[in-house]
Amino acid sequence: MKFPLSITYWSHFVSVAMFSLGLLGFLLRKNTIVVLMCIELMLNAVNLLLIETSMRTNTPEGIIMVVFVVTVAAAEVAVGLGIVLNLYRMKGTVNLDHFKSLRG
Amino acid sequence: MREGLFIAFSLFTIAAASGVVLSRNPVYSAFSLILSFFGLSGLYLLWGTTFMAMIQILIYTGAIVVLFVFVVMLLNLQVNKESSPNFLIVGISGAAVWFFSLIILRVLTQAIPNTLPAIPTDQIRTISKLLFTRYLWPFEVLSLFLLVMIIAIFAITRTQEIPHGGEKQ
Repeated sequence: MKFPLSITYWSHFVSVAMFSLGLLGFLLRKNTIVVLMCIELMLNAVNLLLIETSMRTNTPEGIIMVVFVVTVAAAEVAVGLGIVLNLYRMKGTVNLDHFKSLRG
Repeated sequence: MREGLFIAFSLFTIAAASGVVLSRNPVYSAFSLILSFFGLSGLYLLWGTTFMAMIQILIYTGAIVVLFVFVVMLLNLQVNKESSPNFLIVGISGAAVWFFSLIILRVLTQAIPNTLPAIPTDQIRTISKLLFTRYLWPFEVLSLFLLVMIIAIFAITRTQEIPHGGEKQ
């Protein structure tokens, strides 16, 4: 089966597209929970790139790094959602435009 | 066969990821996130990392997205209109980021062979040996990090000091 575009191109396409989507969502969306989800998307794009490179060059260190990234991502989501819960309790909303107490 | 599945999973993952960003309802975003993680898990399987595919399903869709859905249900949000940003500028900058990163990746990975690798058989053993020999110290630091995070979450979400409904804007 002749491949229309190379495997390298497709894998990079997926990672970069996921990272760009996560970045756009991070910058555009106002809901704090969705912003946290977009951070997850970016982390997963980087994970995919790490795994591709690690498998293609036959070095298992990339997979170890992905294990660490997954652990840190889980902890980050737990802390972030705790902060979101507290913010909702204090302000009554999760819209990012309403969180400007620290603005000078 | 593997290449066709690869393209299918790639397109599925990107479609689900765009669903996360585009949908108005946070619950739909969370479900799109689940679909996107399943697609990523398929991609990991095609690359031969069966261990990471399992971890992706177990941790991401089993723990993280459930946490997201739990918080969305707990907060009982109503779907409100978001102020629409300047889509032209954001789209142009996103396309620029995408384009340049693709170019950089192409240049950086020219020497790497261009085929799907053979699936290794004893990958979990390799990972475990590396985790407990060469990467033992980061592994232990990571466990300490998780302990610190547990204490931090308890400190953040305790409710005694925070006045209920105080400091309204």
